[in-house]
Amino acid sequence: MSAPVVKMAGRCFYQLYKLSNSAGRLASGKTGIRQFSGAVVQNAAEPWRLLGAACVQRLAVISVDQRPLEAKFSELMNQMELERSLMSDHELSLLDDKERLRRRQAVDYDSDEEEEADRDQDIVLTQDLEDAWEQRLKGFATQPRARGVVDARLERADRCLAEPLLLLTQQEVGPERLWLLPQTPWEAGETLKTTAQRALSATPGLDLQTVFLGNAPCGLYKYRMPRSVRDREGLTGVKVFFFKAVVSGPLPPPAPSSLWVRQSELKDYLKPSYLEKIRPFLLNL
Amino acid sequence: MSLLIRQLQVSLTQQSILTNQVSALLQRVTSSLPAPLCRLAPTNERHYRTMPTHGIGRWKYLLPKEVPRKKRDKLQMKPIRGSTATEYGSLSVKVSGYDMTVVEHYSQYIHNLCNRLGVRVSESYALPTKSTEVMLMQEQGTKMYIDALLKTHERIVQISSMTATLCPTFMDVVLQNQPEGVQLSVKEHVERDFLERFKARPQLEGLMAQVNQRD
Repeated sequence: MSAPVVKMAGRCFYQLYKLSNSAGRLASGKTGIRQFSGAVVQNAAEPWRLLGAACVQRLAVISVDQRPLEAKFSELMNQMELERSLMSDHELSLLDDKERLRRRQAVDYDSDEEEEADRDQDIVLTQDLEDAWEQRLKGFATQPRARGVVDARLERADRCLAEPLLLLTQQEVGPERLWLLPQTPWEAGETLKTTAQRALSATPGLDLQTVFLGNAPCGLYKYRMPRSVRDREGLTGVKVFFFKAVVSGPLPPPAPSSLWVRQSELKDYLKPSYLEKIRPFLLNL
Repeated sequence: MSLLIRQLQVSLTQQSILTNQVSALLQRVTSSLPAPLCRLAPTNERHYRTMPTHGIGRWKYLLPKEVPRKKRDKLQMKPIRGSTATEYGSLSVKVSGYDMTVVEHYSQYIHNLCNRLGVRVSESYALPTKSTEVMLMQEQGTKMYIDALLKTHERIVQISSMTATLCPTFMDVVLQNQPEGVQLSVKEHVERDFLERFKARPQLEGLMAQVNQRD
């Protein structure tokens, strides 16, 4: 959600404002103003590294199965609707055909009494049409809704068709390899959204067509480096900006080091602090 | 009136000059003195409330009430807003599908969602239904016969302003709740989309083409 982003940005500005105020006061020669602790002061020598990340979702393809109570209720509603409805043209023509047949098979049938319009009506009966349609329906084979074997394989994009899936890639962050949303460092001169798009295309073996849902980021993850790294490399920390995207076009084939996981399976792959920051903008509908 | 005359007479006697004009004026004034007050002006013919003849002569209230026929105004286009750095301009969210109940319920859901999230909806309307005939070739012979008639229903929710920060969340909610068999498209609203709502008038268009051709 956008709310946490705004709050954090507000806090950064407030800190910078306080810093500039205190600097001004010191310059004017007034003593007795408490200096801020070193942890808050941000110098130009210790910058934050910016990264753009893409939160790619494969939306649900089929609807969720109904629960028993829902199934019973929908059946009841359909029955009520059927009982209260009027007959359609097709059903009326079925009745007409039956009536005509009954009249023709009567003992005292006189074909001249038949009306002009009804005389040549026995070429294609409505019942024959219905039989032809039923034959075609029998030839149609449906796919099963839940496929156990496919659902268990996490690298396939067509698993769990009734639930939305999230794309995770394995990336090297410092000394270890972690499962994260695909991310890449920001380069000067490009927008963060293009960084996120680059992160997707940079993932090896991933052939994906996506649509980004907006130009503004949906979330922010700030990670402060441990003191050793901060002193050695002069890097205070890392800020990751997330952009929402949705898979469009055909589903991609499985790619190495990339997984499609459900929201319930996220906690098995992501670090708790990272997952906590991501959860607010993941909609669990 | 009597006061005036008395004053005149006093002035005259004081001056002690009686000219012809003045005498004539006096005569005209005395002769034109009114008799009953009610005949002073023709509009003052209403009788007072307490008089038994109050309301005599009224007749318009007895006629049947005629409702004036309202001439329906031509539908005016609401101004199309342009996009700024932080907000999108006029957008139109189009929902289309074969099943009318599902399409209508989904468009109602989108409208209610906009109201709840504070996105201003300028208009919500339906485009004319498009009918598609599915024709199959007969097994024996070359004639095509009609197999089915499919009707495509379209509903549009026109949004006038949406902030850029809200857009990804809004789109995510709308896409996750999209029912099966319904297509969704979000586009910039253009004047041509507004003109699509109206029926085509072939005669008028023919005449306009003729006029333009002559020029």
